[in-house]
Amino acid sequence: MSDDGTAADAGSASREGRLPGIVTRDGDRYVRVTRGLELPPRRAALGLLGVILFVAVPDLATLSPLLQLQVVHQGVLFGLAAVGLNLLLRHTRLVSFGHAAFFGTGAYAAAILATHFDVTSMLLLLAGATLFGTLMAGVVGYLSLRHTGLYFSLLTLAFGQLLYAVVIGQGYFGSSDGLSVRPGEANQALLFGVEFGSEAYSVIVYYLTVLVVVVGLLVMWRVINSPFGNALDAIGQNRTRARFIGIPVRRYVLAAFVLSGVYGGLAGGMYGLVQQHVRPESTLYFLRSGDILFMAILGGFQTLVGPLVGGIVLVFLQDVGRDVTSYFDALTGVVLVALVFGFPRGIVGSLKRGSPFRERLGRLAADPSLAATWLRGARDAAVAAAYRAGENLRILLFGVN
Amino acid sequence: MPVDLSNLLVHTLNGVQYGFILFLIASGLTVILGILDVLNLAHGELFAFGAYVAFSVFGYVTGAIAPPSGAGGLALFLAVSLGAAVLAALAVVPLGAAIEAVFLRRLYGRDEVYQLVFTFGLLLIIKDLNKLIWGPTPVRVQSVYSGINRIPAAELVGLNFPTYKLVIIAVGAVVVAALFWFFDRTKTGRLIRATAIDREMATAIGVSTDRTFTLVFALGAFLAGFAGAIALPQSTANLAMGANPLVLSFVVIVIGGLGSLRGAFVAALLVGVLSRWAVWQYPPAELAAPFAIMILVLLVKPDGLFGTWGETA
Repeated sequence: MSDDGTAADAGSASREGRLPGIVTRDGDRYVRVTRGLELPPRRAALGLLGVILFVAVPDLATLSPLLQLQVVHQGVLFGLAAVGLNLLLRHTRLVSFGHAAFFGTGAYAAAILATHFDVTSMLLLLAGATLFGTLMAGVVGYLSLRHTGLYFSLLTLAFGQLLYAVVIGQGYFGSSDGLSVRPGEANQALLFGVEFGSEAYSVIVYYLTVLVVVVGLLVMWRVINSPFGNALDAIGQNRTRARFIGIPVRRYVLAAFVLSGVYGGLAGGMYGLVQQHVRPESTLYFLRSGDILFMAILGGFQTLVGPLVGGIVLVFLQDVGRDVTSYFDALTGVVLVALVFGFPRGIVGSLKRGSPFRERLGRLAADPSLAATWLRGARDAAVAAAYRAGENLRILLFGVN
Repeated sequence: MPVDLSNLLVHTLNGVQYGFILFLIASGLTVILGILDVLNLAHGELFAFGAYVAFSVFGYVTGAIAPPSGAGGLALFLAVSLGAAVLAALAVVPLGAAIEAVFLRRLYGRDEVYQLVFTFGLLLIIKDLNKLIWGPTPVRVQSVYSGINRIPAAELVGLNFPTYKLVIIAVGAVVVAALFWFFDRTKTGRLIRATAIDREMATAIGVSTDRTFTLVFALGAFLAGFAGAIALPQSTANLAMGANPLVLSFVVIVIGGLGSLRGAFVAALLVGVLSRWAVWQYPPAELAAPFAIMILVLLVKPDGLFGTWGETA
């Protein structure tokens, strides 16, 4: 199974003969991955390296106790949901605050199928998760897309919380204890009717995830580079103008919303398979929605793979932070604040060629004494701001004199 | 189904009290949103911070100055504890002012997602700040506070209703009146509204938007802290207490119409009373009721009950 997925991105000579192809355009050479996706050699190499690293995680995890397959896996799944959310955020400029709803719907759909209907097939569980995540996205999207801006954000959040409240209040959903997704070795979900031991199970599910993620990224790439993706960009820039040039705005935005729900539901279903237990706190709570949104921004919401990287980093931060300090929330908080003021393009965005960060790094390499100047500048700015705050406070309390 | 009248009255009063708490929380959020155009996700944590400070101040002041005994002592105790709530709220003000002047100010011109990320980071940091100062276990002031409930105010009319809840209703009403008076009648309030309606014009006529914004954020923080201090005695102060008020105040401001103070007030009472009635008739609805009310209202009136901020207070 996993071979297919990696082949699609990295290119293996066995498929169709056309892959991988080298095409020459305007004198530059590009590596053709699929029809329409041609990468410059450097980026193709980077992508290949990324996929290899991605595939090698279970092996790398045996080398270092710091790196745990389960943590990376969780990060990847939340990241996948963030990739879906990023379709809205990056292109239509809509900030959804309720994507945990689709993730949670997916996870709960898998759990309900497993618990109440005794479904054993992994693929059926995933299909159910995707289906219900998509349906939920359709309903929530239909009701919240009447609005834009903050109203939209708060509506998606409210629907998410409503779902959370319903799930936590009903015994059918296991209330606050949640439901299990085929736990225990004797009972685990099957892939094509094959049973696995618990070690093998987690690795198999991981490779299934790798496959899903690679295909998901390719599909997303196709979508955002299609006329539909361009229309979404136009809507994001100016809704009124987009309507004037004949784009059916509501329908397109709803389609994008539902598509992002597909990613959320699928990721949630995989999460159910990985954790083998879903709880309302960890899948449906509004802080999860926040996490998914901030993963996209942390990784760089102007990029395709940024949300995925952000997902891995944020989950890693929360998990490793827990071991390092009891103030792991503040650690994440400091990272987010630093992100806003230092790296607004996110991790992947900052590392891209031509980004301000790369440019600064280049200047610093040329002249290391710049570091001292920048530090002094930052200190002066902080002092000035603190002084201003004090001044304002004085005026508030004692008037202008 | 026959409805017992005094039962209905008690649940309605409960709802009104809950509504006033909701308004106290949501008012700060809606004022900041209406004027600064920033959705402050850290609002719930400021609420929690106020509650924690109140715990410390209450514990010290009420114990040291006025132990609750005798009629006069009880009255003094009440006054002292309200004073303590104000003190606790004042402690949040410099925090709010500093946040606005040092950090938030640099984000106004930028994409709104950065404001969300920043205030979310702030949420996490303040949460751990509370943990650092007061420890991870919940703190409780019930013993100090049961003093007020020993004043049998409601029993005069034959009702069995905790006095402290009546105090909350009274305090809430005073705050509502004070806020409307402030934005309607005072010069500062009008300047703030002018800034909300048209920033450039306000700057042109000599209003310092910098200071207005700091003032507004500090006011919002004060209201959050005050709500925390007032709501504290009914429960414990704990690290998770910030999340629920935050989401509930989202519900309130969405029903009321984003950034409308009047809307927030009406919506808070609506949500308070209706959700208490719902819980009374069908207890499992407790968590879902506010959201269900919100969705019902929005189906009828998609833009909330009242318009935006500024034109009317």
